[in-house]
Amino acid sequence: MERAQHGDVDAYGELVRRYQGIATRTAYVITGTSADAEDAAQDAFAKAYFALDRFRSGAPFRPWLLRIVANEAINRRKAAGRRATVDLSVAEGRPSGDTALSPEAAALAGEQREMLLRALRQLRDEDRLVIAYRYFFDLSEAEMAEALRVARGTVKSRLSRALARLRTVAAGEVRLDG
Amino acid sequence: MASRMDDRTIELALTDLGGRLAYPSVDLWPAVRERIVAGRRPWWRGLLAARSPLVPVAATLLVILLLVLAVSPEARAKAAELLGLRGVQIIKVPETPTPTPSPTGTPLVPGGRVTLEEARAQAGFTVRVPAALGDPDEVTLEPVAGGARVTLVYRDRPDIPPSSQPGISALVVELGGRLDQNVMGKGIGPGTTLEQLTVNGGLGFWIAGQPHQVFYLDQRGQFQQETLRLAGNTLLWEQDGVTYRIEAQITKDAALRVAASFR
Repeated sequence: MERAQHGDVDAYGELVRRYQGIATRTAYVITGTSADAEDAAQDAFAKAYFALDRFRSGAPFRPWLLRIVANEAINRRKAAGRRATVDLSVAEGRPSGDTALSPEAAALAGEQREMLLRALRQLRDEDRLVIAYRYFFDLSEAEMAEALRVARGTVKSRLSRALARLRTVAAGEVRLDG
Repeated sequence: MASRMDDRTIELALTDLGGRLAYPSVDLWPAVRERIVAGRRPWWRGLLAARSPLVPVAATLLVILLLVLAVSPEARAKAAELLGLRGVQIIKVPETPTPTPSPTGTPLVPGGRVTLEEARAQAGFTVRVPAALGDPDEVTLEPVAGGARVTLVYRDRPDIPPSSQPGISALVVELGGRLDQNVMGKGIGPGTTLEQLTVNGGLGFWIAGQPHQVFYLDQRGQFQQETLRLAGNTLLWEQDGVTYRIEAQITKDAALRVAASFR
């Protein structure tokens, strides 16, 4: 208590530390590079702090924050220009579920992952974002709607369109970055 | 093969992939904090300057007080240890967020009008009334995340100077503690002082000057913003798992006398 009164504990810091994981991950899915993702998340937290008074009382904080994060990340991508590539990659040395697979199945899973990853890199930022919210971060439909600022009914259609495009790209029929 | 993946396979593969990406993991807070303190705010600086009468802001350090209430059932069991504004945190920031005037006009006293008996029956916590002020002229009850907020309105009281709000001399706000681990922050402006006290055996704070905002955040991440209604002094304390606060243009001693009369 005394410590607190002397002002050495950061209140907003609690929020930042609580949400920086998902914020940085969200930014990374969009920017595809760690450095840009960290910068975008950092910017977002600073902006969110000063925008706290505009935060609607009673609204969920996380999607509100993610909206700012995604915005920052997308702006960074735009600033980098069309040619900027998304390096999105898989972390090394994470065997996770593969240990249960036969070597052949593991190889197949790895191949499938690479294919998906390549397709994701070519998707539009918005499509990658909606896919990440749903499958990477397991956001609820309501939370996605808040984060994407769309009606709840729109979430499903956005997601299925994003998946359809992912599928198309994966099948090598269309190159979106061309 | 790639194009033959069915929906379920793709979904599973995406879920799996999501757990494997090379996400950066750094602690952003030191850098964010530095930026907040340094006040590099390219686009809102103008807004601040234009709107806030509290400028000059640049050098003014304000204080945010963060109260972490731990009043879940488990916490109640450990009442003596856990109750009472445990975990108060204070940070100094360049300024508090500028309060934005609500376009629709925030009602001075939120919630529906109820009788004291109704408030007691519905609040879900012990609603106390300060005998020193007599019966409240109005009682409102408003549901908030995980609990309720009860506001007692005192109109003209001969011994209390009128507040900035016509017809109201004092407000008593009581927030129930069904929320687990709320985080409550209070923005304190320039010229405002904060003092830690013991009030009715519990930990409390006397904030003199012009505090204007309270934030709290529950476990689900629901951010709640509490606006202090009167631009006056505030006495805030926790007692039996309830946060009580008195807002009025009165001295600390007077506020403490009022607090001591809570029944």
